[in-house]
Amino acid sequence: MPEDNARPRIGAELSKIEAEPLLPIEKKLLAWSLIVGLVLLGLLVWTGNSALPVGH
Amino acid sequence: MAEQTALRGDLAASPPAPSLSEDWLAVVVGGLIFLLALALLGGVDLLGWATAPRTWVELGKSVRPASSLYAAYGPPALLLATYLSVLALVSLGALLLGSNLIKFMLGFSVIYWLSYLAWLIGNYAYIAVTTPAEMQRLGIGWSLKLTGEAGYLIALLLGLAIANFAPPLARWLGEAARPELYIKTAIVILGGFLAVKAAEQLSLASTVMLRGLAAIIEAYLIYWAVVYFIARKWFGFSREWAAPLASGISICGVSAAIATAGAIRARPLVAIMVSSLVVFFAMVELLILPFLARSFLADQPLVAAAWMGLAVKTDGAAVASGAVTEALLYGDAAARGITWSPGWVLGTTTTIKVFIDIFIGVWSFLLAYLWTRHIEPRRAGDELRFVEIWQRFPKFVLGFLATFLIVLGIGLAAGTATLKSLDGAMTEANVFRQLFFLFTFFSIGLMSDVRQLWQEGIGKLAAVYAVSLFGFVIWVGLLISWLFFYGIMPPLAR
Repeated sequence: MPEDNARPRIGAELSKIEAEPLLPIEKKLLAWSLIVGLVLLGLLVWTGNSALPVGH
Repeated sequence: MAEQTALRGDLAASPPAPSLSEDWLAVVVGGLIFLLALALLGGVDLLGWATAPRTWVELGKSVRPASSLYAAYGPPALLLATYLSVLALVSLGALLLGSNLIKFMLGFSVIYWLSYLAWLIGNYAYIAVTTPAEMQRLGIGWSLKLTGEAGYLIALLLGLAIANFAPPLARWLGEAARPELYIKTAIVILGGFLAVKAAEQLSLASTVMLRGLAAIIEAYLIYWAVVYFIARKWFGFSREWAAPLASGISICGVSAAIATAGAIRARPLVAIMVSSLVVFFAMVELLILPFLARSFLADQPLVAAAWMGLAVKTDGAAVASGAVTEALLYGDAAARGITWSPGWVLGTTTTIKVFIDIFIGVWSFLLAYLWTRHIEPRRAGDELRFVEIWQRFPKFVLGFLATFLIVLGIGLAAGTATLKSLDGAMTEANVFRQLFFLFTFFSIGLMSDVRQLWQEGIGKLAAVYAVSLFGFVIWVGLLISWLFFYGIMPPLAR
């Protein structure tokens, strides 16, 4: 935990943040991530239970 | 937290570059301990003097060496030998990392003995004993039933008390408070220990690994997107803040926040501030989640194990949570007359965490690609390179894989006698693994200065962290763990 007097204060840094609306590419990233995540979730649970059944 | 230290340095002045990264150092230190332990296979006991506490009522009988061959030397000499060997190893490491050696050695000595004291207290019979039979043997009428792993929590609380009530002492000890180095070293040693269990139960170990891999793919895809959205949409953070924050909260704490900040070319201070918060919340999770698991997942130990790996951030706190969870659940099970083979909860948590670490580089690369191509196109010549995946790869994982595969290979090829020797060798190495765990717990506590974080105006950042972590990440992690690990049980002890 070395001391660092040059370290800026978090509050001051956060107050400088300017509004940035979500870009279409960010929305696309979030949507695809969630869609792929949910589809894979079903797929992985199903294949996991088929290929690696509990108790074997 | 070497990464943090290094980044803080970037803000002020450029420190001398270390000759070895923290990850590689963990491989060297952990690998050396592993190799010395492995000599037992050739009939040479090089680590049997390593001394650990055992459950005790009389202080005079509170410690013993890993091998009875060394018992004649007596506790003071053995304790000193254990301390000096660990001090020599980590001091060499500190030298290679470019630390102030004298300051490090002094600070580490204090951390060592306070951690050891915590370990000793944790093994006090009234705290540790879990079964009626053991209570009868030791002549005690009650116990908190926390097992010897209570020492980890005592070390954490000691560190936390120093950080918040004696900040000058915490700063003085800071040079030696390196939780990430300690946990990475412990994980390298742990590889061999887990491989013995895997060799004994290969089918179960394969199931745990494959389901663990599936679980972390889910965690990456679902966690990150939701936390990024919350940070951007609900709390109004800029992209520069939201991406490292999402990685820090949702993936793997400090390493992920730093890797993401680098990938999107955020200012170093963003990673530093997110990292401070990650360490604090990881400590909170470490104190809460294992006890929640004890209440709700007592009969599903591997669900609890996976949950710790998916929900608790930073390698140190996550693996430490796995250790505490194993202690609590195994202790309760022992009281019910069920004795599971040790190491499976800890092993599952570690496997999940290691998989998460492996994918940090890939995720950072993906984010870097999106940022450079679509969000903030870079200047000509500032191209994205595949080598960045390797640069961000956590190298200590190679040490873990090496010790795991070496022991697994020997274990699968060997007969029962060799497997028993292998078990003995890894049990000796495990004394050092436990010591590095203790240093990790103590250091995490030491770095959690709540007052300083509050004074710095942490409120808004902490709010998004708390909302995401306690409102979403923890529960989705529990759901994913339940889906992939429900019904899978550790084998019974032989």
